[in-house]
Amino acid sequence: MSIHTALVKIEEEKISSEKAKKFIVSEKNGAESIFIGRVRNENSGKKVTAVTYDAHDQAVIKSFQSICNDAKNKFDKHAKIFLEHAKGYAPVGEISILIAVGSGHRDEAFKICRYILEEVKHQSPIWKKEHYADGKEEWLPGHSLRPKKEI
Amino acid sequence: MEIQLKLYGSSKVLSDKDTLNIQLPNNSNIEKVRDILTKIISEKYSKSNLKNLPKTAAFFSEKDEVVNDNYKLKDKEFISIIPPIGGG
Repeated sequence: MSIHTALVKIEEEKISSEKAKKFIVSEKNGAESIFIGRVRNENSGKKVTAVTYDAHDQAVIKSFQSICNDAKNKFDKHAKIFLEHAKGYAPVGEISILIAVGSGHRDEAFKICRYILEEVKHQSPIWKKEHYADGKEEWLPGHSLRPKKEI
Repeated sequence: MEIQLKLYGSSKVLSDKDTLNIQLPNNSNIEKVRDILTKIISEKYSKSNLKNLPKTAAFFSEKDEVVNDNYKLKDKEFISIIPPIGGG
């Protein structure tokens, strides 16, 4: 098995970089690249306390698998890929996304990591609601999946 | 006829539940759902940030695939509204 993907209910379980490292390690791979995204405490001048992630679970997992397979076909067929994303209420500092890639060489490892991150943002039905220090909350704008010819 | 609209992201403001039941004329398509959502939002949620939702949202069928505006809906069909996404 060379691809692991999951949505993690963050109130019940943590996203683990140790688990990711164990998954991608291989004697065939000379490079490992790990990207960790965390909830930060500020956005557009507003003090953020947490983010709630909503997701269409089945479609997200389908998109994760498709994105990881595309990345392997595009950059390195032998790469090992670990991709997890948070779902639910995540306070500041919590890991929101973790992408770990084991590949033959550094260039492919970096490229796969970047490719997956950008494609998740453009393909995977996940939404963010920010919670602010003043008690307000707001769903953030995003990328429309409506067919472009219809808009 | 009636459909069940499963709500995600910002569209969750439209109901206290996870789904919104929408009454439609027979043989309606997705375009009609957009029209009805526009009406609901202008009547009840004009102060929210949902004004563009009927235009920018995609819709998933029960097979979790994007359907276009001409997609004909069936009575009791379950579809998902997919507001603009932004994970990561």
